Amino acid sequence: MQKAFFVGILVSLVSGLVSVFVVLRKMSFIGAGISHAAFGGVAIGFFTGINPIITAIFYCIAVALGIEAVSRKGKVSEDASIGIFFASSMALGIILISLSKEYTIDLFGYLFGNILAITHGEVLLSLLTAGLVIVGMLLFLKELYLITYNEEIARVSGISVRAINIFFLVVLAVSIVISMKIVGIILVSALLVIPGATAQLFARKLSSMIFISCGFAMLSTILGLFLSYEFDIAPGGSIVLTAAALFFTALFFKRNQ
Amino acid sequence: MEAIEINNLNLNFNGKDVLKDITLSLDEGRFIGIVGPNGGGKTTLLRVILGLIKPSSGQIFVFGKLPEEILKTGNIFGYLPQILKVEPNFPVRVIDVVMMGRYGKIGMLKWPRGRDLEKAMECLSMMGVADLKEMLYGQLSGGQQQRVSIARALAGEPKILILDEPSTGIDVVGQEDFYHLLKGLQKKFNHTVIMASHDIGAITTYVDEIACLNHTFHYQGNPLGALDEKVMTNLYGKNIDLLIHTDICDKCERLRRE
Repeated sequence: MQKAFFVGILVSLVSGLVSVFVVLRKMSFIGAGISHAAFGGVAIGFFTGINPIITAIFYCIAVALGIEAVSRKGKVSEDASIGIFFASSMALGIILISLSKEYTIDLFGYLFGNILAITHGEVLLSLLTAGLVIVGMLLFLKELYLITYNEEIARVSGISVRAINIFFLVVLAVSIVISMKIVGIILVSALLVIPGATAQLFARKLSSMIFISCGFAMLSTILGLFLSYEFDIAPGGSIVLTAAALFFTALFFKRNQ
Repeated sequence: MEAIEINNLNLNFNGKDVLKDITLSLDEGRFIGIVGPNGGGKTTLLRVILGLIKPSSGQIFVFGKLPEEILKTGNIFGYLPQILKVEPNFPVRVIDVVMMGRYGKIGMLKWPRGRDLEKAMECLSMMGVADLKEMLYGQLSGGQQQRVSIARALAGEPKILILDEPSTGIDVVGQEDFYHLLKGLQKKFNHTVIMASHDIGAITTYVDEIACLNHTFHYQGNPLGALDEKVMTNLYGKNIDLLIHTDICDKCERLRRE
């Protein structure tokens, strides 16, 4: 359980930070698309015998870049290309899983989260990737902020807009994969939307939005894990429902201000 | 050295000649107005100068360099795009917007410092909106947003200001003050300014030179020379009547008497 809380806090910090930009850049659908595509990446791991987390990271990065490349050409809209990658990845996953019949329990863990089965190696991997994501985001924070505000002004200011956009997609893919163990593939996109959406209700500047989003994500995770332990309910569902309930409470509070 | 030099520039897009045979030479410290109808290529020309679009043929130099090279440095141009839609609850305050103008000067992998904040406040004061610094940009009026955006463009200490329809959202009364302020700043800092506008009457008073663009230049030179029926017809097509409002508006008088 200790490992679960530790990884949970790491995951909340990362999700909180990334969520701010997912919400501001209106990338919730891309987030959902990549996270469901992760199913394909995990299935490749099962099929080949390589650690599914590793295959998922590479696969999700490839999908993220694929979405960017296909929609950049202009022939297909971004949301259509997300839908295509999302669905084909799931289909790939379903086929590969059906060919490797022994792994249903492990698969369940990836789909819905499996906090009790977090290995020591996975804790270290989460720590490393979370560290890289947080440092990377902080290094390029002002560039991301300006690009989100207006891409053309960002370009004129000398920023390599395309490079930073690709960087953010990679960050998104990595954040999704490290969150999988806690909340599962099916729900991971919730952690990328709810904290940022809640923070936007109250924040007037970027730093506030980041603090509130991370704090909110941590609160939901800790409370959710606690409730799941107390009442013996699925941790992933517990965390996300807690987050949703807190969001609606915040919304109600904001509306009545 | 000339700030901008364009020779026989053409831009063809999807089979259409968006810009045809554009030649322009602009000295440093000059204020030029580019006027013409919507869809005539004003915004496109500005974006070619900025390096955001590559021309199909012809040459363009900004202080002797290619626009792509300038794009990498990020501290020559101050840019005010035509439409800047910002959601009312986007977490950006006025001071944050103006600080964004400093990012080109600060550079990647570095954080803003005291000097950047000082400069940002200076620019806000110059545009008369320093008291709005903590307000959310998305909740300001159109005119206030324009002033803040210009403060942002100025904050990077640019050599060339590119303004695309800067008087959008400002009422007629406000526009006079606005152009007056702009002209004052331009003279003080010796900025080179390229301003696109379809408000031909207003800007002729403030600019040093004017260029009339409708896919190609129909006139370039002294502002008053643009206020000529032949030029106007070439630029806007037939059925154009030019009303020049002075203290006594003769045209309106005539129409009233008819």
